[in-house]
Amino acid sequence: MKYSLLLIAALASAQDSYLIRNATIHPVTGPEIANGSLLIENGKITGIGAKLVAPKGVKIVEAKGMHAWPGMINCATQIGISEVSSVRETNDTNEIGEFIPQVRAVVAVNPETEHIPVARANGLTAVLTLPAAIATGGGPGASTAGQSIVRGQAAMLRLDGWTWEDLALSQSAGMLVRFPAIQTVTFAFPAGRTEVPYAEAKRRYDGEMRKIDEFFEKCRRYQQAKKAATPNFQADVQLEAMLPVLEGRTPLLIAAQRERGIREAIDFCEKHKVKLVLMDVRKPGAQLARLAEKKIPVIVGQPTDLPMDEDDDYDAAYALPAVLHKAGVKFAFATYDNQFARNLPFEAGYAVAYGLPMDAAWKALTIDAAEIFGVGEMTGSLEKGKSADLLLSDGDPLEVRTQIKMLFIRGKNVSLENRQTRLYQKYLARP
Amino acid sequence: MRAILLFLLATVTAWSEVPSGMAIRNARVVTVSGAVLPKATVLIRDGLIENVGPDLPVPADAWLIEGEGLTVYPGLVDALSTLGQDARPSGPPAAAAAPAAPARGPEDRPRTFSWERIADKVRAADPRVETARGLGFTSTMTFPVSGIFAGQGAVMNLGDARPSRLIVQSPAGQYLSFALGGGGGGGRGFPSSLMGVIAYVRQCYLDLDYYKQAKAAYDRDPKGRTRPEYDRALEGLAESPRLLFPAVGLSEIDRILRFAKELKQPAVLYGLHEGFRAADLLKTAGYPVIVSTKWPTRQADADPDLVETTRALETRAKAPSTPGVLAAQGIKFAFSSDGQSAADMLRGVRKAMQMGLSEADALRALTLSPAEIFGVADRMGSIEKGKIANLVVTRGDLLSERPRIEYIIVDGVKYLPPVPPATPAAKEMTR
Repeated sequence: MKYSLLLIAALASAQDSYLIRNATIHPVTGPEIANGSLLIENGKITGIGAKLVAPKGVKIVEAKGMHAWPGMINCATQIGISEVSSVRETNDTNEIGEFIPQVRAVVAVNPETEHIPVARANGLTAVLTLPAAIATGGGPGASTAGQSIVRGQAAMLRLDGWTWEDLALSQSAGMLVRFPAIQTVTFAFPAGRTEVPYAEAKRRYDGEMRKIDEFFEKCRRYQQAKKAATPNFQADVQLEAMLPVLEGRTPLLIAAQRERGIREAIDFCEKHKVKLVLMDVRKPGAQLARLAEKKIPVIVGQPTDLPMDEDDDYDAAYALPAVLHKAGVKFAFATYDNQFARNLPFEAGYAVAYGLPMDAAWKALTIDAAEIFGVGEMTGSLEKGKSADLLLSDGDPLEVRTQIKMLFIRGKNVSLENRQTRLYQKYLARP
Repeated sequence: MRAILLFLLATVTAWSEVPSGMAIRNARVVTVSGAVLPKATVLIRDGLIENVGPDLPVPADAWLIEGEGLTVYPGLVDALSTLGQDARPSGPPAAAAAPAAPARGPEDRPRTFSWERIADKVRAADPRVETARGLGFTSTMTFPVSGIFAGQGAVMNLGDARPSRLIVQSPAGQYLSFALGGGGGGGRGFPSSLMGVIAYVRQCYLDLDYYKQAKAAYDRDPKGRTRPEYDRALEGLAESPRLLFPAVGLSEIDRILRFAKELKQPAVLYGLHEGFRAADLLKTAGYPVIVSTKWPTRQADADPDLVETTRALETRAKAPSTPGVLAAQGIKFAFSSDGQSAADMLRGVRKAMQMGLSEADALRALTLSPAEIFGVADRMGSIEKGKIANLVVTRGDLLSERPRIEYIIVDGVKYLPPVPPATPAAKEMTR
């Protein structure tokens, strides 16, 4: 018994410390440091500057010509709970029930998912895992009839760990809500396009709005009863799960692509006095100024997507991040999927090519994403005291040709090997 | 009192002429096939135009109408309607109702009624017939409209005789529709997409070639040969004098022009709301077209936040200019009511006249052109000696806002227009 305890202690202290030398360091929250050094000890950044002296026993990483950046964060995936979306057994999403705030994505996460090593290979160190899919893409979406409304808690995961507890940067980073929408046109395979009259769609919408308003009122009453220590108060797992939302600690995550959806989501959150993060925003229109004024953070729709409407500019999606930046809206990037989560830097690259300043793109990929989901104190920038979640590259990672050379998560030098590289090596060696 | 009035109305509008000879003397005659005759006589006998010209002697037995101040036009033609059929939209015929098992492929001949002849089903009792006649319509091309191959249409006069006496020509053509029969595959069987429908039509014509050859070979020498299977669907296609294809938008027009050429079948396009965009295509291809007068409008209960495309707005604004464009290019066209009332159809024609269509061209598209398109110009469509006596006699212009129709003559039988609906003042007087 004593022996095993000692062994654990030995392993822990054996966690390597690193001094990265002569790299171009991009702290993101501060100015770039040419020929800088970065000291990593006990999983944290303990030193950053022009010249650092290597303490005894640290591993030296000679990084001449390389760039150090904070690891990137993908703000909408289902990594860990959905492996192959078309294979039912590998999906742990879309729980049943109309209001299920108690559902936590984090507890279902599989740390061995193949998506994690693939995402890491392109410099991602964290992802937001949503408990259910959210609609993306222009044009009519699938009918949302029958889907749950409050869909559960999203988790911010670091991309290295033994267990889900280990992976969790934040076990409850947001409460996913499918906000009611007036859907006159829906599309499903193979039935195709279905249209319902506006009046009918509006009626359904009104019904759902009543339901969601009622639910939030019920949550408030629960909160009040609990606070007042009502004599026969009974705890309720569903309503209990809403308390962090009501207390403003956990934001609602609402997908709203267009102006009307955005306006209604903001109105709703103001009415119920809860925090909001808008997801998959594509055409904010006149709500743009309001987003900035109310400081409502936004996860942009994928930049490499088609414009929503026929008359939109061809670059409407590419240029949206620049538009948000100019308006002063805080935003971050996401791919809204698992298999292409690794493309996050290239999504941001498109935004830069269409007017987003490079430093703003990097903030959106790192510190802003971390702050939006409440983990900005821990990660998201290269600063003393923060978790050592960073990458070393041979150039600008937003360029497709740039190689990620090393990746550190909580100070651990994690492997960049993944299913794709294994297949690459295998077939390279084919006789 | 009111009952008596209704009775009178019914008898007046159903009035018809007993003697078979009739003469309209010294009227202005718009022959359409030739020059306008400012002062001519039209002689009618046995349902035909016996003669037309200035200073014709009036036979002693002919019922004489003094035509001073009157204009005689050929009767109007609705080039594509469901007049004379059941008022409710014609479903698939009971005998050929959807098969119990969904179609697996073209061999099951899905939604095909090509052998059905609407001429066998028309009835004069359709109240729309009388309404249309009252506005100057004397003939229509009535078609079955449900199914991929919906069946054979007929040219029909809008009299009130026995249906068998009304048919001018049958079959007049095969009506095709590319609608997916209420939404896609999902167990409904083949074809579940537009691509499938087009492939099916193509397959039928390939099958028809083979069928004809196999039958001919068998008929030459049946001994020792297996007889070819009888295929009513192909029999129906073999006797179709022309195919009516749906083509509303530009891409549909383009598609059908290529497709009809490939099938090597005489074709007529119907719809044509974007014909104004396709003038060159249509001119080169040389197929006649039937323009729907149901001009596109904004959906009455559309989503108020719906983003309308510039293209949709332009189509809505310019669709009524299509007839003018077609006339200028010398493309043969006719008009259809497309499910609207006869009054709305004429309103649609007048809209086209406001957008550049000359009155003469409009009149031709309502009379001689449809007769030519359906191969019956040798017997109807203009005021010529020997043609069917289908005429409208007016005081003033027929295509004006409020035409004053004096008589309608169908197959030589004189009808009076319906008594105008009672104005409030007139109602007062009947009390």
